[in-house]
Amino acid sequence: MSGSQNNRLASAHDVELAALAAAGDRSAFGELVRRHGSAVRGLLRRMGAPPAEADDVAQDAFLTAFERIGEFRGQGTFVAWVRKIAARAYLRRLQRERKIAALTAADEAEDVAAPPDAAGRMDLDDALRGLGAAERICVSMCYGAGLSHAEAADALNLPLGTVKSHVKRGLEKLRARLAPADGAPLEGRRGNG
Amino acid sequence: MVELEFERRLERLFAEPPAFSDEKAFAVSVERKLNRGWNIRRWIIGAAGLAGGVIGASQLIMSNFVHQVENASEGSTRLLQAGVQQLAPRSDLLAALPAGSSVVWIASGMAVLAIGFVVTRVFEEF
Repeated sequence: MSGSQNNRLASAHDVELAALAAAGDRSAFGELVRRHGSAVRGLLRRMGAPPAEADDVAQDAFLTAFERIGEFRGQGTFVAWVRKIAARAYLRRLQRERKIAALTAADEAEDVAAPPDAAGRMDLDDALRGLGAAERICVSMCYGAGLSHAEAADALNLPLGTVKSHVKRGLEKLRARLAPADGAPLEGRRGNG
Repeated sequence: MVELEFERRLERLFAEPPAFSDEKAFAVSVERKLNRGWNIRRWIIGAAGLAGGVIGASQLIMSNFVHQVENASEGSTRLLQAGVQQLAPRSDLLAALPAGSSVVWIASGMAVLAIGFVVTRVFEEF
C-alpha cells in the first residue's frame, strides 16, 4: 500500500472506509480494524473472556463485519456495530460450550475485586472483575455493546427479568466501587495491556 | 437522575478502549486472515468457473449442438448471402464468411468462456 493511500485512509471517516470496504477495498477495512480493534477486544475482555479467547472472537467479529459490511449503513457508529457483532459472537461461543448456565449458577460465588488504588479508587476493568460472571456479561452487553435489556435477554437466552436483575445488581456494585473518593471522574485511566 | 448520570458515565467508560501493546499486530493478523480468505475465495471462484464452463460446454457439445450449429451457421450463411447479394451483389465477400466445423469449435470455445464468466460473476455477487 502506498504512502498516499495510507494517508487517504487514515484521514477518511469510518463511514467512508466502510463504503470502500463494501466495494471490496480490504485495506480500507484494515484501517477500521486498526482504529477499533482495541475497543472490540476490550469489550470482550470486560465481558469476562480470557485474553486469547477475546482476541479470537474479536478477529472473527471483524471478519464477519467485513462479510456483512453492506448491512452497515452508518446509522450508528461503526465501532458500536462491530461491538454488537462481537458480543453476540462471544455469547454464541459460550452457549456452544454450554458455559452460560455454569456462569449464571456460579454468579454469587464470584465476588473478588482487585484492590483499589491509594486514593481508594478503582477503574472500570478492576471494578468489573468484582462482579459475578452473569452480572458482568449483562452490564457489558447493555453498557458496552449497547444492547437493550430485551436484546441482551434474547442473546443470552435468559428471561428478561433475570437480565434486569443482573444489570441492577451489577450497577449497584459498580457504583459502589467506581465512586471516587474525591468525586473526580475516572475516565482516562487505562489498563489491560 | 443520579442513576441516569451514572449510566451515562458507565457508557463513557465502556466507550474508552483499553490500550493494548499489540494493537498493530492484531490489525495485521485480521488483515492477513482477510487476504487469505479472499485468495481462497478467488481460487474457489476460478475453479467453479472453470468447472462450470467445462460442464456447460460439454453439455452443449453432447446435446446435438454441433449439428444444430452447423445447420444454423449454414442457414445463416445462406440468409446472409441472399441478403448481401440483394444489397451488394459481390460474391467474393461472402466467400470469406466462415462456415462448417470450425465455426462449431469457435462457438464452443466462446461458450466455455461465457459460461465460465457468468458462473464467476454469480459467485462474486452472491
